Amino acid sequence: MPTDTKRVRGPEVSQSPSLFLCKTAAKKSTASNDARVDGRQRGQVDVRSVFVRCGLISQAKGSAYIEAGNTKLICCVYGPRETERKDETDMKSGRLITDMRFAPFSCRERGSWIQGSDEKDLSLMLLESLRPGVCLQKYPRSQIEVNVMVLENDGAVLAHAVTCASMALADAGIEMYDLVLGCSIRQEGATYLIDPTFLEENGCNLASGSRENLGSLTVAFLPSLNQISGLQSDGEMGEDTLTGGVRTCIEGCFKLYPVIQQALSKAVRRKAPPSES
Amino acid sequence: MATVQVSEAEKVYILHGVRDDLRVDGRGCEDYRHMEIETEMVSNTDGSAKVTLGHTDVLVGVKAEMGKPRPMVPGEGYLEFFVDCSANATPEFEGRGGDELGMELSNTLYKVFNNRYSVDLKSLCISPGEHCWVLYVDVLLLQCDGNLFDAISVAIKAALFNTKIPKVHISEDEEGGKEIELSDDPYDCMRLNVENVPCIVTLCKVGHRHVVDATLQEKACSVASLIISVTRKGTVTCVRKVGGGSLDPESIFEMTETGKRVGKALHAPLMQLLQEEESLGKKRQKVGFLG
Repeated sequence: MPTDTKRVRGPEVSQSPSLFLCKTAAKKSTASNDARVDGRQRGQVDVRSVFVRCGLISQAKGSAYIEAGNTKLICCVYGPRETERKDETDMKSGRLITDMRFAPFSCRERGSWIQGSDEKDLSLMLLESLRPGVCLQKYPRSQIEVNVMVLENDGAVLAHAVTCASMALADAGIEMYDLVLGCSIRQEGATYLIDPTFLEENGCNLASGSRENLGSLTVAFLPSLNQISGLQSDGEMGEDTLTGGVRTCIEGCFKLYPVIQQALSKAVRRKAPPSES
Repeated sequence: MATVQVSEAEKVYILHGVRDDLRVDGRGCEDYRHMEIETEMVSNTDGSAKVTLGHTDVLVGVKAEMGKPRPMVPGEGYLEFFVDCSANATPEFEGRGGDELGMELSNTLYKVFNNRYSVDLKSLCISPGEHCWVLYVDVLLLQCDGNLFDAISVAIKAALFNTKIPKVHISEDEEGGKEIELSDDPYDCMRLNVENVPCIVTLCKVGHRHVVDATLQEKACSVASLIISVTRKGTVTCVRKVGGGSLDPESIFEMTETGKRVGKALHAPLMQLLQEEESLGKKRQKVGFLG
């Protein structure tokens, strides 16, 4: 990154202000035990209320916007169109291509426009979560492109990206077996934080000391088929905690389900208003 | 990923075999293939290991370099992972062909080690906020015959066990200037505690059952697999679903249970083997790459 030579630079020992942000957040949260910073309760399936809308980008075949707290994502679907790669051996079923990016201003510190390795990893996770939900065999020799742009990152990005992308696919009229919903939790000892914010996700709220069972878990779920299409965890958790966490995430997905269904039916009604007859 | 073509008849044969707990090569559903481990393969590294699992061949080299600690954790060193898919393994990896797989593998490794128990990162600190050891863990895939994750994790554990980091002393003069001194004795080195380094177990869903250590043929019959990294105590540090299919929640729970059991059982013999090899010292028979 080019540095501004006209600017007075800080002393060499100076540190980034974001380092201190976490410390103040930690102090705030230890004040009360059960409540989280945004008023939700720990250990309860209390997902952030979401705002969703389909069809906001006219150029794309399908598009969706999701907002959960301060996490904001936009997703566009293009295709099905003729596949670019001709060397694929398996031409009987279509190809799904996902691309997930963070806008440079989406995080606390400015990122670059070039896709980093974590974004590529998220794209891959998104692909693996969406693929079981799409009837790809109905689209031979073609590809469907899914682009997700994170406008504002306030935690649980992958989970909301999955939900948003499946809505955009449905809006594009791509045949699907089921919607794919995403939910993530942050496990902290015996309690968990569902749909964590950015600060909660990065362990900033953790008071101190080595607590057992500290980690994050993201689940992508097909609600009417009762299948898990994506699962990812890190940190360290016992097996029973993990099992419990997956169950909690599924419960969280079911809370999201009616909202997404309503938004989709609204979008359909807007596209093709019911005749007055 | 290196793939094989499997005909419908072969698929049915493998599926029926797995249903009856008998796999094509005679193993049970929770058995590993024959595994060979050799440490100290490459002299220019600080620690290295080669693991052969069936026809999967993985070489891991660890190099320790001095670096600056991350600002968020000034009192700790860190690990960097890089997986290289060599075109030797399969022509598909030629050029940029292996990049996607390499990225997936290395990102998974970061997740597997993203907790404070796996490696004692505090021991890698030299002086807080200024210097620390950075361990570059480079993985080279020499041959691919399924189950890369497990082979890589075992090789990393062995290579970290083998890693010798030179001891350094920090001396401070009157003006507060610090100087780093390297010990003169090349045998004066620090070893890492690898007790809690997790091993990855990949479970492939084949039919209604799941198998450990799937070959490429078996992998072609499965729609999805679950990778679970398990520590010695049985805690899970990373779970990830890979592959295009979806899984029933109940079968995920079953698979985690199996993964935990298999992973836990993997650690004790592995540590014993590594210690045995270490105790042999110079008398150890070297196999090398032609074994």
